[in-house]
Amino acid sequence: MTPETAVVQALNGISFGALLFILAAGLSLIFGMMDVVNLAHGAFYMLGAYIALTIVQRTGQFWLALVLAPLLIGALGLVIEPLLLRRLRGRHLDQVLLTIGVSLVIADLIGLTWGREIRSIPFPAGLDHAITIVGGDYPVYRLFVIAFGAALAVVLAVVHRRTRVGALIRAGVDDAPMLAALGVDIDRLFAITFAVGAALAGLAGVIAAPVFGIYPGMDVDYLIYSLVVVVVGGLGTLSGAVAGSALIGPVDTFGKVLFPQFALALIFAVMALVLLMRPTGLLGRIRIAR
Amino acid sequence: MSGATPMRRFALPVVAVVAAAVLVTFPIWSSPWESSRYATGILRDMLILGILALSLDLLVGSAGMPSLGHAAYFGAGAYAAAIAGQRLGSDDLLLGLGAAILVSAFLALVIGAVAVRAAGIFFLMLTLAFAQMVFAIAFQAADITGGSNGFSGVRRPMLFGLDFNGPDALFHLVAVVFLLVLLLAWRLRSSAYGRALIGLRENERRMRALGYDTTRLKLSAFVLAGAIAGVGGALQAYSIRFVSTNDVGVARSVEAFVSVLIGGASTLVGPVVGAIVVLFIERVMPSYIAFAETVLGLVFIVFVLAARQGIVGLVRASYARVRA
Repeated sequence: MTPETAVVQALNGISFGALLFILAAGLSLIFGMMDVVNLAHGAFYMLGAYIALTIVQRTGQFWLALVLAPLLIGALGLVIEPLLLRRLRGRHLDQVLLTIGVSLVIADLIGLTWGREIRSIPFPAGLDHAITIVGGDYPVYRLFVIAFGAALAVVLAVVHRRTRVGALIRAGVDDAPMLAALGVDIDRLFAITFAVGAALAGLAGVIAAPVFGIYPGMDVDYLIYSLVVVVVGGLGTLSGAVAGSALIGPVDTFGKVLFPQFALALIFAVMALVLLMRPTGLLGRIRIAR
Repeated sequence: MSGATPMRRFALPVVAVVAAAVLVTFPIWSSPWESSRYATGILRDMLILGILALSLDLLVGSAGMPSLGHAAYFGAGAYAAAIAGQRLGSDDLLLGLGAAILVSAFLALVIGAVAVRAAGIFFLMLTLAFAQMVFAIAFQAADITGGSNGFSGVRRPMLFGLDFNGPDALFHLVAVVFLLVLLLAWRLRSSAYGRALIGLRENERRMRALGYDTTRLKLSAFVLAGAIAGVGGALQAYSIRFVSTNDVGVARSVEAFVSVLIGGASTLVGPVVGAIVVLFIERVMPSYIAFAETVLGLVFIVFVLAARQGIVGLVRASYARVRA
């Protein structure tokens, strides 16, 4: 591998990691608060990409899609949590199983609505050119993905540490029943948490659409990526999502270049290795394995 | 059961044997029907999914280990039987099934060694993720597995001069193996081993305190379930003479899981009832409606929300109410 391709692949890896962070942050947030691994997370991601497709086709406005699609999916989350998950509160495994059903329904309805072909949307205006890096052209949009992921990480960290909402989230992650006993409306907090997590998945879907594609089966692919990221990084913490995506994004990208034969299996080997060495994941506080 | 009078003790095996005979001979007595061939094909696939679901129920129902990646072992068995037949140029059924059992059990041993260290939701996540790894390998090792094109031209097996090449003969084979798996599942329920698995589900710490090596117990269940799933996969490969990456895919794992839950986990025949319902929705309903998969998702949601004990559990509960 020449130094030039190494730089390009490093940028590709970091931008993929930035996307995985946006996705995994939502999954991790929901888990941290509610002890539920939302297996519909990939379906929300997919729905975000397809809603963006329609908005861009109708209006040509990528930025409108970037705002509207996550809001719509957040609203969907706001319906699903009280309607379905709340009925099984405390039964975490059953809640997880419920999200399998939700994911089946969403993926099928997407197929019925948008068809089952591979789709794409163009780079948004202003980010549709390439710049010269180490003697080659590099798409600006990928740099935007990196910047967006980094900015989101900073915003989430500030919200988490410095705001009242953040304090509620930290308290809820620590001990939700105690928080409820202190008079906080836990139903509302859970519904909002689930909605924000879902919206983050939708946001990742919109961000991914111009580079990582829109296709049937993307829900499963990216659900698995986000699971690997949170297991490797550590469940339920923001820093864990950062660490996991910072590792898995580049590993997956370099793997595809260096060992094309094993590339798809590589991240799972990394996951197994991390679990054997650190059962909590790199920066987690919950023991995933003994 | 309280009604185990001598009459009933005698009647039950008779009913079971008659039902088994009716099942195995289905293609023969249904042959006057116009759609006999179609029905035979669907029923065959239901029995194969039934084998997969029965094996998964050992984990989900008995041991309380919710595996969402059981297709990995099913697919490994399918590929193993197909590839062994091709590479060794043999039609021997025992060789094909042996290869399937060996490969899927070994795979379950490797993945299980990591996965059984986790429990509950985490176990579910890890089994799902590692199954996707197996899918990735099947997809990428195209020179062995055929990759995304699939593996076509699987040879139909023979055993002691019996040829399972025709669709009816193959159905007999699938039905007999299905009955053997059902028998095994039934025997396991009342065995010391089966009760130890239930002990795992009910209270793992107590099992440890009683001196059981629970990690080994879980791993052995994982390997056994993987091996049986592999047999199901081999039968699938023989049936459609083709193996695709779908056989190791998430959709198949979900099919098996949904079968167990809809039918009723830990109820013996529940997973089979579930497999029939799932394939009815997925294979028969699409002729009438476009959104069959949505229906499956909604049915699953309703069962998780309102009838976690599944169809067989519901029937038993209402039967008990009527008798009381």
